Amino acid sequence: MMLKMQTIKFPTIFFITEEEINLNDLLAKITLPTTGAAAIFTGMVRGVTSRDDPHETAYLEYEAYVPMAEAKMRQVAEEIRSKWSSVEGIAIVQRVGKLYPQTPTVLIACTAAHRDTGVFEAARYGIDRLKEIVPIWKKEVGPDGEFWVEGEYIPKAGE
Amino acid sequence: MAAGQAMWSMNKIKVLFFATLRDRTGMKSVELEVPAGMTVQALKDKLSSDYPNLKESMKTILVSVNKEYSFDEAAIPQNAEVALFPPVSGG
Repeated sequence: MMLKMQTIKFPTIFFITEEEINLNDLLAKITLPTTGAAAIFTGMVRGVTSRDDPHETAYLEYEAYVPMAEAKMRQVAEEIRSKWSSVEGIAIVQRVGKLYPQTPTVLIACTAAHRDTGVFEAARYGIDRLKEIVPIWKKEVGPDGEFWVEGEYIPKAGE
Repeated sequence: MAAGQAMWSMNKIKVLFFATLRDRTGMKSVELEVPAGMTVQALKDKLSSDYPNLKESMKTILVSVNKEYSFDEAAIPQNAEVALFPPVSGG
């Protein structure tokens, strides 16, 4: 019973935005009196890629199927909670539109009472799942022209 | 076919296209009347013949019905919002 009451007040934030991602604001919203640790992952546009297929990127253009994307972000947050009961707050935010190198594009943050509770793994799981099931796509534009980046994951029934 | 009969046997759906699929059709969305009970596979076949540019994408396409992932054998419900898109690449 007590655990259930705690679960209810744990903040879960998830949205698609065209605005700049405000890390301080999001972190404040998922920090509770009991919170002592936050694991934050953020990805940004990489202007110069040296691994695999070396190339330069002028900008990325992101789009999302917003209502489904936000529903799937909620699902990712629920999956995190079912795997790491220690997690207190969760924020999952994807920025869309035209984004230039060195600009943050995505943020996954999880908070917990202590750092040794799985909070790092929870944030890692969150970004990995976002890249698998949340309907967002990016078009890469650079000196060699433009092309859509396609993922590889094929969701299964119930995902 | 009588008008009343047509109402029973048809299904008005909205189909959304994203990313490469939108580029290939040149459309963000289209409203279609399809036979009631049409499967996702049958809709993919119909769209491939209506928009030959789509054929190439169809092998790796993902489909959602009412914002949940759906699969070839599934029947499309009445007034569904269907979306077609490539494997996702957010982050």
